[in-house]
Amino acid sequence: MSQENPNSRPQGQGRPQGRPAETGAPRISRVDASVASPVKFFFASALLWLLVSSVLAVITAVKLHLPGFLNGCEFVTFGRLDAIQRNVFFYGWASNALIGLNLWLLASLGRFEFRNAWIATLGGLIWNLALTIGVAFVLLDSQNAFELLELPRGVAPAFFVAFLLAALWPAVAFARRPTSHVFVSQWYILGASFVLPVVYLLAQLMVLWCPTNGVLQALVHSWFLQNFLFLWLGASALAAVYYFLPKELGTTLTGYYLSTVGFWTLFLFAGWTGPATLLGSPLPLWIQSTGVVAAVMLLIPLTITSINFFGTLSRDSGWSRAWNNTTLRFVAFGLVAYTLATVLQIVFSARSLNAIVRFTAFTAGQQQLLTYAFVSMVIFGAAYFILPRLTGAFWPSAKLVHLHFWSCAVAVVGSVAGSLVFGWSQGAALAAAKPFADTAHPQAALLSSACAVLFLIGHVAFAVNAFGMLTSCSSSTDEGRQA
Amino acid sequence: MNDSHRPNDRHRRPRASYNPGAEGFSDGRLVEVHNQLANDKEEPSEGFSLLPVFVVFLFCGFGFWAGLYLTRNSGDFNPGSFDLDAPRAVADNGPKEFEPDPVKGEKLFVANCASCHQATGLGVAGAFPPLADSPWVAGNEERLVKIIIAGLAGELDYKGTKYNGAMPNIGAGLKDAQVAHIATYVRQAWGNQAGPVTDAKVAEVRKAVGSRGAYSPAEILQAHPLETK
Repeated sequence: MSQENPNSRPQGQGRPQGRPAETGAPRISRVDASVASPVKFFFASALLWLLVSSVLAVITAVKLHLPGFLNGCEFVTFGRLDAIQRNVFFYGWASNALIGLNLWLLASLGRFEFRNAWIATLGGLIWNLALTIGVAFVLLDSQNAFELLELPRGVAPAFFVAFLLAALWPAVAFARRPTSHVFVSQWYILGASFVLPVVYLLAQLMVLWCPTNGVLQALVHSWFLQNFLFLWLGASALAAVYYFLPKELGTTLTGYYLSTVGFWTLFLFAGWTGPATLLGSPLPLWIQSTGVVAAVMLLIPLTITSINFFGTLSRDSGWSRAWNNTTLRFVAFGLVAYTLATVLQIVFSARSLNAIVRFTAFTAGQQQLLTYAFVSMVIFGAAYFILPRLTGAFWPSAKLVHLHFWSCAVAVVGSVAGSLVFGWSQGAALAAAKPFADTAHPQAALLSSACAVLFLIGHVAFAVNAFGMLTSCSSSTDEGRQA
Repeated sequence: MNDSHRPNDRHRRPRASYNPGAEGFSDGRLVEVHNQLANDKEEPSEGFSLLPVFVVFLFCGFGFWAGLYLTRNSGDFNPGSFDLDAPRAVADNGPKEFEPDPVKGEKLFVANCASCHQATGLGVAGAFPPLADSPWVAGNEERLVKIIIAGLAGELDYKGTKYNGAMPNIGAGLKDAQVAHIATYVRQAWGNQAGPVTDAKVAEVRKAVGSRGAYSPAEILQAHPLETK
């Protein structure tokens, strides 16, 4: 793909017209063209859902300090919008984008032209249709009381089939790749693609379809959540980091031979950390302690990814080069967030600390650090790299790229820091047995509203840029119209 | 990234080793080079690195800690143990205090006594004296426990009916707590209203009784005369 790298062409804004090489616009490689239609479909859907999620986040954030806002209509009550916002963000934005990203990475690293790409697109259609129907049902007041399983259970089979088509089928195609070498990104993608359907199926069965008794339900749910966050979202984003860092810096990864250990230990321990989020619950003590041990053992994959990534970035003025590269600026930001999120997960599995922050906004801050500051920022960085190669066009506006990065970076730093600080202080006040009303911080709600607006600004900037590019290149390939 | 319309295109420099060319790595080269790295373990130019040794020791340390932590905080892998402080609290209080349990008492009574005294506690007139509403049972607790432990043999006149039986030393084969459960049950069932008997009391009486044979009614009434209502 090197000789067809779009960014290596002389600069030009001309539209590709059949023979892009002569017009100076980026050319689309055959590997990229083979997956262009599903990947563009997934990214475009992800973007739309991201906008929906951002608007809902603004409404729910404002409702927290202006309870009268949008009062009197049952469809916009906090309980429904909050659940919808969460599901739209995780299933609509993050999962859509990661399915597309994984697909593109598998094809690029395996260097094979993807056959029957329509199967993945079909999976994407089913996925997004199911999500839309599920959201409509939640809007009409039919939701389950389990985080990320709120959508009515009838949606689950559609999600399951859609994921098999869109993510597992490419994994099968991976087995028929022409190359024998397997790069670490490919391990992470395959691992993530196999983890999600298994945990989703078991969680649906044991929590919603044939509910188990008592605490087992909560245990299964926590197991599902941690797997979803660390091994689906997290591992997929790590795959992208492992790819873009050496690719864009043009250097090899430091301590690459360790990455196998990092991969296996992450997949071994991250799934067991569920009980560490349920400390102090009526779960048998040994299960809670196993969760704590698993969380602390995340130190092993964390050590290895730190050696791999920070070792690479600290060589040859890697940090400043990453800062000056759009993709790597987002990716490096995400990398720092991943490290912080894992450290917090480890430190706050300690029983004494966990007891303080257990029921506060602190845990929400932890989750946002992992899923937004890490996963979403990496996805943004990847989109800046991938979309020009799929559309054969350049990003229309560099100013919007700047606006996107800074508003999202400031918003996520403010939002996460606010949750952590206010959560901790509220937890400490509650531990000192102060009345609940005295422990709430009105500033926290104001801060989260301001951050939600900033997020929305950044996402709109990104969407304008991306849709401008996706629509400007409609003639470059036959499949280009999908998105 | 400033004003460039191609934000990714800047600062892409080649490296001395594994030179990927001016464009950064191609995908093929990226995979190939890292595959070599995985097999070589280390970049040859770097010489011997302490990193792998350090990492191995570090990870062994984590594993050691994990074993210690699980052993100390697992509640003996008992599914009924939920609270980190619970096992210690039990150990501090020593053996559990005796609590009379009417359900256990009834079970033991049915198994050991009801064949003669009947489950209704009414006995059989002329053969086995009744226990229901009886001052023999509801009065002095030592009298009751002595009879259960040592037995009672000889002629006895109770409410105008003559009995001449021989109650065996049922209690000799039972634990203190079991005798206490039976005694407590008997003293509180069928209209009897008397306080419970503790296992400590049973142990004390058992010591006093020693290994003697059955009491005669006259002997026991001399030691513990019937209380008048």
